[in-house]
Amino acid sequence: MNLQRRQFFTSAGSGLGMLALASLMQEEGLLAQDIEGPRTHFAPKAKRCIFLFMEGGPSQMDLFDPKPKLNELDGQPMPESLLNEIKFAFIQKESARLMGSPRKFQKYGECGMDLSDLLPHLSSCVDDIALVRSMHGEQFNHLPGQLMMLTGSALQGWPSIGSWLTYGLGSESKNLPSYVAMTTLGRGLPGGANSWSSGFLPSQYSGTLFRNQGSPILNLENPQGMSREFQQRSLQTIHELNRVRYDKLGNPEIASRIEAYELAFRMQRTAPELLDLSGETEGTLEDYGLNREDNAKDATAGFMHSYARNCLLARRMIERGVRFVTLFLSTWDHHSNLDRSLKRYTEISDQPVAALLKDLKQRGLLEDTLVVWGGEFGRTPLGENRANFQTVTGRDHHPYSFSMWLAGGGVQGGQVIGETDEIGWGVAKDPVHIHDLHATLLHLFGLDHKRLTYRFQGRDFRLTDVAGNLVPQLFQDVG
Amino acid sequence: MLLSKTMRHSVKETHSDKKKHGAKKKQSATRKICFAFLFVVTCLSGSLRSAPIEFERDVAPILRSRCLECHNKRDHRGGFSLHSRNAAFDGGESGPVIYPKDTNSSYLLDLITPVDGSAEMPKDAAPLSPDEISMITKWIDSGANWPQDVELQPDQLWSLQPIQRPAIPQGIQSPKHFEIRSPIDAFLVERLQSENLSPAPEASPRTLIRRLSLDLIGLPPSPERVAEFVRDTSQDAYSRLVDELLDSPHFGEHWGRHWLDLARYADSEGYLGDSERPHAWVYREWVIDAFNRDLPFDQFTIDQLAGDLVATPTLDQKIATGFHRNTLRNTEAGVDLELYRTKEVVDRVNTTGMVWLGLTLGCAECHDHKHDPISQKEFYELYSFFNNTDDVGVTATRSWEVAEYEQAMKRWEPTWNELLVELNEFEKENLSEKQQEEVSRIFDGYKKSTDLKKLEAYYRTDESDWTNVEKRLIAQLAERPSKPVTKARAFSERKQDRRDTYVHIRGVYTRHGDMVSSKTPEVLPELVVRGETADRLDLAHWLFDDRNPLTPRVAVNRIWQQLFGVGIVASPNDFGSKGDPPTHPQLLDWLASEYPRVGWRRKEIIRLIVHSSTYRMSSADNSVPEQSGMSNQLLWRQNSYRVTAETVRDLHLAAAGLLDRTMGRKGIRPPLPGFVAEVGRTVKWPVSQGGDRYRRGLYIFFKRTVPYPMLMTFDAPDSTVSCSRRERSNTPLQALTLLNDPVFYECAETLGQSMAEKFAENPQSAIQEISLRCLGRPAQDSELNYLMAAYHDLLHIDVAMNADKEDQRTKALIGIARIVLNLDEFITRD
Repeated sequence: MNLQRRQFFTSAGSGLGMLALASLMQEEGLLAQDIEGPRTHFAPKAKRCIFLFMEGGPSQMDLFDPKPKLNELDGQPMPESLLNEIKFAFIQKESARLMGSPRKFQKYGECGMDLSDLLPHLSSCVDDIALVRSMHGEQFNHLPGQLMMLTGSALQGWPSIGSWLTYGLGSESKNLPSYVAMTTLGRGLPGGANSWSSGFLPSQYSGTLFRNQGSPILNLENPQGMSREFQQRSLQTIHELNRVRYDKLGNPEIASRIEAYELAFRMQRTAPELLDLSGETEGTLEDYGLNREDNAKDATAGFMHSYARNCLLARRMIERGVRFVTLFLSTWDHHSNLDRSLKRYTEISDQPVAALLKDLKQRGLLEDTLVVWGGEFGRTPLGENRANFQTVTGRDHHPYSFSMWLAGGGVQGGQVIGETDEIGWGVAKDPVHIHDLHATLLHLFGLDHKRLTYRFQGRDFRLTDVAGNLVPQLFQDVG
Repeated sequence: MLLSKTMRHSVKETHSDKKKHGAKKKQSATRKICFAFLFVVTCLSGSLRSAPIEFERDVAPILRSRCLECHNKRDHRGGFSLHSRNAAFDGGESGPVIYPKDTNSSYLLDLITPVDGSAEMPKDAAPLSPDEISMITKWIDSGANWPQDVELQPDQLWSLQPIQRPAIPQGIQSPKHFEIRSPIDAFLVERLQSENLSPAPEASPRTLIRRLSLDLIGLPPSPERVAEFVRDTSQDAYSRLVDELLDSPHFGEHWGRHWLDLARYADSEGYLGDSERPHAWVYREWVIDAFNRDLPFDQFTIDQLAGDLVATPTLDQKIATGFHRNTLRNTEAGVDLELYRTKEVVDRVNTTGMVWLGLTLGCAECHDHKHDPISQKEFYELYSFFNNTDDVGVTATRSWEVAEYEQAMKRWEPTWNELLVELNEFEKENLSEKQQEEVSRIFDGYKKSTDLKKLEAYYRTDESDWTNVEKRLIAQLAERPSKPVTKARAFSERKQDRRDTYVHIRGVYTRHGDMVSSKTPEVLPELVVRGETADRLDLAHWLFDDRNPLTPRVAVNRIWQQLFGVGIVASPNDFGSKGDPPTHPQLLDWLASEYPRVGWRRKEIIRLIVHSSTYRMSSADNSVPEQSGMSNQLLWRQNSYRVTAETVRDLHLAAAGLLDRTMGRKGIRPPLPGFVAEVGRTVKWPVSQGGDRYRRGLYIFFKRTVPYPMLMTFDAPDSTVSCSRRERSNTPLQALTLLNDPVFYECAETLGQSMAEKFAENPQSAIQEISLRCLGRPAQDSELNYLMAAYHDLLHIDVAMNADKEDQRTKALIGIARIVLNLDEFITRD
């Protein structure tokens, strides 16, 4: 609480109307407290981020990383030397066989990036994306893997990336939470709300769960039957009485409470507007694929619309100053029926994701909006022969090499970083650990991952724990 | 809406890796000037005081207090140590830093000489004083004498120094409005006066009774009790109130909740499965009860850390060991179970360290503690105490469960017996006793409708009416009350296949270092071992060894924190060198010496503190006008702060008259919108019915992957690790929750409706009653005016076409109740 603000509260006359007060506060810059300017360590390239989180672990060799040699060796056992020391969630090592990919890969764009035929829409964006084929980590189970990707630690209780950024940079939006999570879920997320929690950071840095229809935020709507006018009149008196108390006691926390109610009121007006797509053109809705036909009757029924809508809403949030949006799409955990399921999940997501990239670019937002696509790990080049499986139709979890891509926010598009070995088992060139990705992500936001720390239980914690090296290739011109 | 006190935003490096040489050049010029100056000083003082420099007298104290924390025998930050002559002269990563008789080449002087008020070293601390720098310079200039046999150790941490009961300050002149009622007050006033501060006057009786109620039982006082207290001018009115509150069973609920934070209590396992722990509440019940009967803190500790190891453990003592069964547990298919078991043990060590010793032992999991004198080996020696426990379930069926079951059976049996009579009609022939037993077994073991196929052997199931009977049997069996079998989560010490404990190199459990045995850290008093090897019971006793300086300091600090909002040591779980130092060291030590004297009885210490004038001070920022706006670190006034998440709920329910005061028992599930529950895997959330809907916040079922949003919005801990101090944020989401959450709106409705019934056509009286119920005081004139104006406006908003006057009035009063329930004062403890 700065002095000016306190003077304002003690000197301004009472009995102001609610709206008059709100606008006055805005003019006086009193709300700036909450919208502190970025506290970066150096000039940022990215100001906002959309993390397209593909829960379950998408299969890289069927989407991003063509492996002709693997196709050639289809049905052969793995070289034993590679199997030592390796842990699987479900594969029986002895009888496991390599499994080729039926997908057709082709070169796209000026850069000539190889992509699978399952990604016809993304293939038109390749010159804007940096594909990393050499991602790696250690966690071969879902939740530890997801916590690792989302929070930098396999243990529960650490802050997620969006929380670190909000903590480090403050909030940019006046009317919306600065960190939002949206979901397209079948059976739920392994980590539930931990996937966007602020962990040991104070809870105001936690992500806010946003629904893509109805009332987007929990308790955003007035109690049933209560009009905006009633709410506004009530808020006026809440304000008046809090003012009486502030004048009497002078405790600054009371002024903060007054501010919180102002913000809440504005959020009530702004957040529903966000969901109102009537201002979007038919063309935009079509590009994102909001009205695509969806005949699925399984657990993914309705996902085509829901995911397309979430992608479009992500852009609308970014436009309104939300700093970090995570879109969860669940689940890419294709232990069986890989071909069919992968087709379904790319049908759901390929078009809206590509539309999002193009839309951001066309609006000039891609320049400082980072888009990240990926899951917690990839999948094995081995077919999954779980004890009770009749046939082998899927792949197991594989954290030792997998693919992700990034675009915008200072990322140099049209390049492929890293390589896996011939069969896609391990990283052969330019490994990028999850900690390295995190270090680079913070760097793009103008933050040094070693200097963004928080003291907890006697230790200065950071997103990258005690690791993390920048991947300069991601944001510097190649060649 | 960020509070600066919650902000620890830091742009410091965690691991020093900044190039030091960059700064070197820039400094040289400045240093030359400084040197010129210092030389003059040196020469002058040299001529005045020709005594040669004595290392131990002149230099060692500076090194000890300013350098050795990070550059000691164990910790060589930057590869550099100053503990011995050789180490100091060898230098660090950037080569030698001391060249005897050559001040120009001695890089050490660059490091400590401030430029623009800040120096490279000591890191994150004030620079050395000119005198100190001058002394180091002189010492180097004179040859940097350091006797070979002199080894330096850092100054002992304040918290590790023995507790000496400080003398109570005598003859303190306090202001008239601040009576010295107890030694606490004497210590406080002495401390304040040393900084020219004056203590605030006493708060009003209305504030005091609300403060005491919220602090001791977490519930607001009733308007009647407030009126009685305000009227009561007898000498012991305050004491009687305190006694009444300490004797209230709600005391255990409120103070028990603080302990549950430390115990990282939750009702589910955490991680992917996050399956329910259906009987975790038995431990919670034990905690509440232990607080209510004021189980002395030493026994309270022994029971929880080693209740299974005492001679003949009672059921209660076994239940108490549930403390360390609250750890997260990962059971996801395919995970490395041993890895997660070791993580549980690590958490037990860390929690024990923070809760009883105020030491952040966790820092030593992967390497020696960087700041505090705990080595990695010592971490695993403590780990060893917890490495041979087995998880067990102890039958702990509560008598109320049995009684409820019997009641339910009584209601169920008559219909069942009637059905059995009907069933007899279908017997193939008279059943023998053996056959009857077999039939009973079928019914007892009944799980699904097809189980009744087994009856075919004994009954004529082909008869036309059979289907009807079978249907009713199935329906009745589905309603059959199930016999309660409650298993408390407990510990036992394994006798066979005992695990050896090794240091885990870099914290990786598969990388074994030295084998270790159960021991306590060297810097603390020696462990007394009863048998051949040390066990958890020895550890628990050791915590209360009267030479152990940490346990009482840490424990009494936490009690203080609950009564002032912030501890004398602001970092309650870190009494190490990176924690906050005590603001009132004498007071802390006096209280710490008092705690064992009163037999570790928590209520006695609370009674002592709340009786002080210190506790009774006003919390208003302007209570001492000339100190308004000044930091309250030294406690010149009481603190004013928002109540905890659970209390926010309890206050609402109590004010509305909805609160169900049932104690203990199973958790409850308030309504939760589908889209919130669905983010977790297969979350079932059957909403509680009847009185359960209105029970206190601490009974809300805590599902780790789907924590109840209201609790999280108001900063309840996520229960992944021990929490000794909650944050207190102030956010728009809190405002939205208070305004619109269905539970809180129901409270407003109930309160508004009952006021409308009671004061049909007298809104002013209704408003006063609402104010009394919610704030414990009548509304002042200006407030009344605002509320009356609101009332009259609200009467005409949202009016239905043919609403009658009464409905309108009710609606407006609900609106008024909602306004008052949303005031800052309502959720603030002043």
